[in-house]
Amino acid sequence: MPPASLNVTYSGRKGPMLGLALKTGFLTIVTLGIYRFWAKTRLRRYYWSAIRPGGIPLEYVGDPLEKLLGFLVAVVFMAFYIGVVNLILMYVSFALLNGNVAAYLLSFAGLAPIIFFAQYRARRYILARTRWRGIRFGLEPGAWGYAWRAMVHWGLAILTVGLAWPLTTLWLEKYRTNHTYYGDLRFVQGGRRGMLFASMKHIYYPLGLSAIAGGMAAAFENPAWIAVFVLTVPWLVYGLAYWRADSFKRLTEAKQLGEMRFRTAPRPWTIVGIYALGWLLIYLVFTGLMIVIAGVVLAAVGGTGFDFENPEQFEPVMTAIAPTVVIVYFAIFLGYRAMTHAWITLPIAAHFAEVTRIVNAGDLHQITQRDRDEFAEAEGFAEALDVGAAI
Amino acid sequence: MTDSPAPPAVFADFVGGDRAVLTRVSVRLSAEGLDLSPPDGKTLIWPWAELRAEPDQADTETLVISRSGDRLSRLYLRDKNVQAQLRTRAPHLKRRDRAISIPRLMAWAGGAAASVTAIIFVLVPMMAAQLAVMLPPEGEKALGDTTFEQIRMALDETGLVGTPICEAPAGNAAMQAMYDRLNPASDLPYEVQIHILDHDMVNAFALPGGRIVFFRGLIEQAETPEEIAAVLAHEIGHVVNRDPTRDALRSAGSLGVLGLLFGDFAGGTIALFLANQLINASYSQSAEATADDYAHDLLDRAGVSPAALGTMFERLLAEHGDAEGIVAHFMSHPQMGKRIAAAQAAVVDGRQYGSVLGASEWRALQSVCGDAPKGQQDPDLPEKKPWPGSD
Repeated sequence: MPPASLNVTYSGRKGPMLGLALKTGFLTIVTLGIYRFWAKTRLRRYYWSAIRPGGIPLEYVGDPLEKLLGFLVAVVFMAFYIGVVNLILMYVSFALLNGNVAAYLLSFAGLAPIIFFAQYRARRYILARTRWRGIRFGLEPGAWGYAWRAMVHWGLAILTVGLAWPLTTLWLEKYRTNHTYYGDLRFVQGGRRGMLFASMKHIYYPLGLSAIAGGMAAAFENPAWIAVFVLTVPWLVYGLAYWRADSFKRLTEAKQLGEMRFRTAPRPWTIVGIYALGWLLIYLVFTGLMIVIAGVVLAAVGGTGFDFENPEQFEPVMTAIAPTVVIVYFAIFLGYRAMTHAWITLPIAAHFAEVTRIVNAGDLHQITQRDRDEFAEAEGFAEALDVGAAI
Repeated sequence: MTDSPAPPAVFADFVGGDRAVLTRVSVRLSAEGLDLSPPDGKTLIWPWAELRAEPDQADTETLVISRSGDRLSRLYLRDKNVQAQLRTRAPHLKRRDRAISIPRLMAWAGGAAASVTAIIFVLVPMMAAQLAVMLPPEGEKALGDTTFEQIRMALDETGLVGTPICEAPAGNAAMQAMYDRLNPASDLPYEVQIHILDHDMVNAFALPGGRIVFFRGLIEQAETPEEIAAVLAHEIGHVVNRDPTRDALRSAGSLGVLGLLFGDFAGGTIALFLANQLINASYSQSAEATADDYAHDLLDRAGVSPAALGTMFERLLAEHGDAEGIVAHFMSHPQMGKRIAAAQAAVVDGRQYGSVLGASEWRALQSVCGDAPKGQQDPDLPEKKPWPGSD
């Protein structure tokens, strides 16, 4: 019988992740994007296997070819939808509304149900290809049910200028979780309607304060109000991290899997710290590279006796360095992505994993396997729309 | 194992995939492979050739072993000695077993390619052509306004303020006089607006809603006002045929589809731009011929030699060379030689053609961007290059 309480350990490390992200990113670029199915699979294998509840790693068993196939399936349908719908929306927006902004909004509104549909299907694929202790996870079909609910709840959130966002989050999480299985056992998301509003308090307070301070600063020219207004910005940053940590805690601790419960305690300041450090490192790397490149360019220019007074020389020089510019563009893109993986995504995942525990796990051994979800389309729609999971 | 002493058994975690149970098995290396003995069951033999190691694992201490053909069972091996033995003795440890059949993948790839090709090259252009004619003039104007601002932004090297418009009143009046002389109003649902942008490019183009844009480069390159008039007539031809509108609608459709294909493997912008350029160019050749024909008529009616269009093309040809083959695909005005001949053939025998602008107006047009006209353009000298066919 397994122990009653299982801690989650995390074995991912920044160095190997940086290497893996750089390698797969490079291959993706040189294959004009085709390798991205392999790249995503490999990164997922790493991220999944790093999370080890009770010492046993999660396993991602998705197959890149399966993802490629799913993408092709999605393209056959989506190309029609995107091509025709985009064109008609553009026509309608200019014929009736005389504006381009309207076209974007309309185009998004037309795509929104498809995006939610695709996200749910992607989640179904990912869960179907995730295992722990040899047992598959799974998500029941229900993508259209999710899509219309998401439309309604997002509509509500937009109408209330985001104030109802905690409710939207909870409702959609309930739908997703209540359709999620581990083996033959279904997850249940508990929690009352008001549960997540308190998680937003450090967003509501600074927003309210900045509104007041902004109004006062506009009405009376007192610099103190401007200072208050400026000070709400770091508070809001903390508020976002607090929302992330606290909403995760409340949602996770209200989840049930049979008799099993979950305990977690992510720390907002740790989240702020990870982002601050990650961005600082990325900034330092890029600044360092800029200095080195500038040095090399100056040395090269000095060596060839380039004449700055003579504009005739610029054109051939521009032609000569064009390939370099393209390479630099790709290198920046690639480096930024890899560094984000290694210095932000991975440490954040590590923090959330390490503060989480499974309790009442005594009946774990009674959970039995579920059937394989073949799902030929994989996460093709999300891939095509580029709205899949970030990993 | 007869020639060497059998190594002592080590223990490892094993999952069988039917229940979420972790079994502690003893692992022994034999001649056939791994012998796995659970405490209360019969020994499993995993042959050397069928052993697979799960790749991209975060935890480097543990080797996750599976057996080819068995999708679910996993062995979590931590013993360093056994790991080393496995690496040397299992011949296909790194092989991945493919679950997707290549013919099936190829079938879907073919389907996707066919569907995308049909949509980009048949469906979207057809719909764009239809909708372009139906779009009301106000809609077309709004579309043109948006595109114009985007192009100004795109051409400006700093990307901040947009390429400046040449404002000199006398020059713009000269351009307007040229337009009035051509007088195409009866063919158009709206007024044509002509802009001259302060940019080196030797080019001119039409936008939806009757905007025509000249670059300073083209005006400087021309040696007579008739050449400018010819280009203007050609662009008016595009406006009359609704080519720019059709183009804008079509690229709205096809850009969306291309975005779908390439994903975001590198921000995607460069690949998207190139691909769209390719489609654009190969598509508009017949549109160019129609616009040329319209220009010949318009010039002839206004008493300007249609051969001027040919002269302008010759100048471009001398400057850039004829673009044929793969290069032709990236230029939207291919096969200049043919078009020069067509322009010369459009000259009506025996008709007297005059000049389109007076000398002072021409000078004003040349200095519309604030520069002095080029030295060799002294209007007191006889024209160096008489019109072919006019004498």
